[in-house]
Amino acid sequence: MGASIYKNKKLIWVFLLPAFLFMLVYLYYPFVQNILNSFQHIKYLGTAGGEWNTPWYSNYVKLLGDAKMKTALKNTAVTIAATILGQVGIALLLALLVSNIKAGAGFFRTVYFFPIVISATALGLLFNLVFLYDKGMVNQFLQFAGYLDRESNQLIDWKAKYAMFTMLTPVIWQYVGFYFVILLTGLSGIPADLYEAATIDGGSKWQQVRFITLPLLVNSIGTCVILAVTGALKVFDLPWTMFVNGMSGTWLTGTYMYSKVYSDVDYASAIAVVIVILGVLLSAAANAVFKQKDDYQV
Amino acid sequence: MMKKKMLLVLAGVTASMAISAAPALAAGVTLNVTTTYAGEDSNAQNYKDSVAAWEEESGNKVEDSSATSDEAFKSRIITDFEAGSEPDVLFFFNGVDSNQFVEQGKVVSVDEIREVYPDYAANMKDDLLGASPVDGVNYSVPVNGYWEGMFVNKEVLEAAGVEVPTAETTWDEFLAACETIKGAGYTPIAASLQEIPHYWFEYAIYNFQSAETHNTVPKSVDDEYGKAWVDGLNDIKALYEAGYFPENTLTATDAETFQLFTGDKAAFLIDGSWKIGGIAEAVDDIENFTVVNVPGKGDRKTTDEIGGLSMGYYITRKAWDDEEKRDAAVSFVSYMTSDEVVSKFAGVSATALKEGAAPDTSEFNALQVDAIAYTASFTGISPAVQDNLSAAAREPIFADMASIVNGDVDAADAVAAVLEANAE
Repeated sequence: MGASIYKNKKLIWVFLLPAFLFMLVYLYYPFVQNILNSFQHIKYLGTAGGEWNTPWYSNYVKLLGDAKMKTALKNTAVTIAATILGQVGIALLLALLVSNIKAGAGFFRTVYFFPIVISATALGLLFNLVFLYDKGMVNQFLQFAGYLDRESNQLIDWKAKYAMFTMLTPVIWQYVGFYFVILLTGLSGIPADLYEAATIDGGSKWQQVRFITLPLLVNSIGTCVILAVTGALKVFDLPWTMFVNGMSGTWLTGTYMYSKVYSDVDYASAIAVVIVILGVLLSAAANAVFKQKDDYQV
Repeated sequence: MMKKKMLLVLAGVTASMAISAAPALAAGVTLNVTTTYAGEDSNAQNYKDSVAAWEEESGNKVEDSSATSDEAFKSRIITDFEAGSEPDVLFFFNGVDSNQFVEQGKVVSVDEIREVYPDYAANMKDDLLGASPVDGVNYSVPVNGYWEGMFVNKEVLEAAGVEVPTAETTWDEFLAACETIKGAGYTPIAASLQEIPHYWFEYAIYNFQSAETHNTVPKSVDDEYGKAWVDGLNDIKALYEAGYFPENTLTATDAETFQLFTGDKAAFLIDGSWKIGGIAEAVDDIENFTVVNVPGKGDRKTTDEIGGLSMGYYITRKAWDDEEKRDAAVSFVSYMTSDEVVSKFAGVSATALKEGAAPDTSEFNALQVDAIAYTASFTGISPAVQDNLSAAAREPIFADMASIVNGDVDAADAVAAVLEANAE
């Protein structure tokens, strides 16, 4: 026996097979079936597709002229930009700050990561109260600060006037901690002697960040951006809890697909296909921009 | 050694206790039940009490997943049936919403149940059970009927210097009252058009029809019924533009606008008979509230209202085919639709009981007393026409009311989309 066990590659296949079968049955088969569904007429959710649509690509033609889908795509693009700048950007800033302190780093790591452990639905309900029209936290605060007239009970309908801002604030807030931890881990892998050398050479803090930290962190940032982009494409639960049925024109590709599932199953399947295609294309684009830099892996 | 023996004896005693306790637990059947007796439904507490009483009497258990009746609830039920995770017993709509699971044979007809249990629903008038639109067969057993009316916050009206509407109040007088109420700094109508525009849709289109014609789905947007629907939607748009709904009606939840009404900030609320309990629970002084006829115009008299028996208890095929659950399911539905329980639930609404309901009126609050006077004023009654539409067909109006009232979608286009989806 001895070391020969490590040479026997067949055993590896045995261990890989269950996970592969699981993925095959519960991911790839439904995925292929979903593509077929998008070309068929399906009367009710859960029932098998009957005849092919006429023409078979009619759902995709319908998508091109669907004003709500256009809104969903536009809002999703805004969400992607907001998550890259908001989630990854803020996370990077926080990670840089926390990596530069000695005392309390663990405390901040926990504090910033904590929103991740709260369910998105609970967060949605929480922020519904924060932005509530009458007696909501923000409106009460603005009245208290004198920005809104308290006597006439002047209020702001955040969900109507600033719908995207109201929806994206909790979405961004929830995941900042996630990227913060990834980036902090990346930062911890940068050798300290590089900073020491830079300090001896008279490099300022900003120059150290610009010429040492950011180039060495590019792989971690790339991972975060890819996760943020794909996450933004399928974000659903929190926006749906706060803005059910695309209220105030806040449709996202994920929420619009869900809204169609019960009334137009095959059309919802077509939207799902579009989401996957967009996800693949955008991930590839992000991958190209943040190409793995083998010369300074972190 | 002694210790070991003691432990063995103790383990044996514990095991025998567990074994002897097992049959007692196994004797009770657990039924999965879903109803709409939840949230602010007047009968939410009655339902809980009745379930507890049945559990005690039968030794069975109910795993309850009741929820407020809205589009999400309806979707959940349909999806549960599709996914094969339907409840054993459900209290659900007997109109088009039930078509899918009826067509698929996933619920058992009253006649089939009677072949095994001849007394099933024997206390009900068969012609009022609520036959399925699919095949005209009775599948469900109703409890109590419903009506929709206009609840009034008398304190708001008094503060605004407006009289409580009566059976003679016209639509124009109602609009004038709304203007005065708005001028006094109150919200005339409590309604969330983004979440529950259903009641306003029903009465707004009723105003262009009559009790005889209202329950008809148009064939086209240009026929007389189609035109009535368009005119009705445009009336809702006019109310919105006049500022009679809450400022945030397009983003508020139904719970928020209900709070405006019970919190003395809004004057009128059109809702169903099931809301009486919710109002009584939410306010300190129920005498401050009443229910009146929804002001009408055209052929619809102010006293022509919406009402009927639109829901009932179904036993699913899954429970029926399960020998353990069959008895329990029949026993549960029979208990919940017995004369005694129905009388308790009925309150101020109609029933399908052969003997009629006998509610204890001595316990009625002021709003319930007013509700009796309200129902006595009816000169015509029509079921809600939206119950004839599928979920997909309702969507262009109910999920998109915001777009209709703010002018993004033309009312005629929305009606055309409804009729097109309904025809599929």
